[in-house]
Amino acid sequence: MGKTQIKNNIRTLRFFHDEMTQQALAEKVGVTRQTIIALEQEKYSPSLELAFRIALAFDEPLTSVFSYGPSRRF
Amino acid sequence: MSFQQKNVTVSLVNFLLILGFYLIRVTQLIRTESFTLDKIIWVWISIAVIAVVVTIIGTILTHIISAIIEFVKTGNEDPKIEDIEDERDQLINLKGTRVTYTMYSLFVFLAMLTYAFGQPALVMFTLLILCGVLAQIVGDIYRLNLYRRGF
Repeated sequence: MGKTQIKNNIRTLRFFHDEMTQQALAEKVGVTRQTIIALEQEKYSPSLELAFRIALAFDEPLTSVFSYGPSRRF
Repeated sequence: MSFQQKNVTVSLVNFLLILGFYLIRVTQLIRTESFTLDKIIWVWISIAVIAVVVTIIGTILTHIISAIIEFVKTGNEDPKIEDIEDERDQLINLKGTRVTYTMYSLFVFLAMLTYAFGQPALVMFTLLILCGVLAQIVGDIYRLNLYRRGF
């Protein structure tokens, strides 16, 4: 349990999208705010479908949002 | 705390109360030496009825209290409660259910062992419902742990 191997840049991308709130992102991708919190804290690995929906919400390719293993964040 | 997490907490409290009721009732039956099969069947029925009623009341109260808290926080007279169940909730539920069934299988096996080792069937029946309640409690604790620590 604890941190997953899937890293993400959701917090950074929210910042660059006019400081989008967690609630707004949650509503956009159809999950609860708690799931977005868990994703940002890397306590939950999303399904492939949810990962694509998040990438679409930011209008970014999947690999810009998610990466596997220890990787550098922008 | 999400709505689903609150529901699991309510379920845990329900089953802890039911466990307490069950233990008190069985202890009373043993003390008054009226520990018979028909009395235990009545305890089974009352446990089932209490579990259903308390779960329904608990869910309704969770909705009402969530709405009150949301109203106090936002001042919105028509508060929106985030009671959707997303993929994370479903996954946690599945994992919790798996733990509940595994524990129940193990407990039932242990209860049957008492019969195999010469104890009366009454003891096995008494333990069976205790096993169900305990398995549900373990499953709920596991669910809450997954919500808190992640996976």
